[in-house]
Amino acid sequence: MDRLSDVLTAISHPARRAIIGQLATGPARFLDIADRHDTALNAVTKHLKMLERAGLIEREKRGREVIISFRGEPLREVAGWVHDYERFWIERLDQFEQHFRDKKKEKKK
Amino acid sequence: MKAATDTIELTFERTIPASPTQVFEGWLSPKVSGTPWNIAEKLSLDPKIDGFFYLHVKGISHYGRFTEVESPSRIRHTWVSPNTLGLESIVTLTFKKQGADTIMTLAHSGLPDTPEGRKHEQGWNYFLNTFPEQFGKASREEK
Repeated sequence: MDRLSDVLTAISHPARRAIIGQLATGPARFLDIADRHDTALNAVTKHLKMLERAGLIEREKRGREVIISFRGEPLREVAGWVHDYERFWIERLDQFEQHFRDKKKEKKK
Repeated sequence: MKAATDTIELTFERTIPASPTQVFEGWLSPKVSGTPWNIAEKLSLDPKIDGFFYLHVKGISHYGRFTEVESPSRIRHTWVSPNTLGLESIVTLTFKKQGADTIMTLAHSGLPDTPEGRKHEQGWNYFLNTFPEQFGKASREEK
């Protein structure tokens, strides 16, 4: 895939947008990111790999720890390329997924 | 002779916490939040092979014809609107069981890649609304 496709794919998933939202407030360690998101560790690893491939995050080794930081430039580069239907389907699918998550929560109560 | 308009394909994937049957049926229900039918101001929907839909949203009419309806694994229909320049684009949905969840994919292909389709200003607004903090931060860093 080209860079544009990598970035659009990276931001098409709500979990990855949530990670971007977290890192936008400042760099974090891997476990800090995993703790904040209700998903398996290997899923977090997969999401981070996709964000890294798109150039949206970078890793820096500090001693024994790896610090992950957000990079905003790729988003700015692709901002003009977002298709109307990109927004349309992302909004629809986010709401559709949330509908089922809400139903699952109600069942648990 | 003028070259034909280039087309693009958009693909999305979601993990939905429900069975493929529930997700398949949910997607075809206008009552379920997040479906395209749920936001219709006017709707006619006949989800069977060669069945048609008419969807009127925010003053824009969309039309399509179902070409594959295979419960609970696959839906395919055409999609025609002013944004497709009157051409038939194709929307394909798949639903695959993964444990207690369903991996749902949506591909929208045959979309004309035109400036009308990717409005720069709206693109910016989308990002600004979705990622307000980092765009503010990135803008400040550039100065």
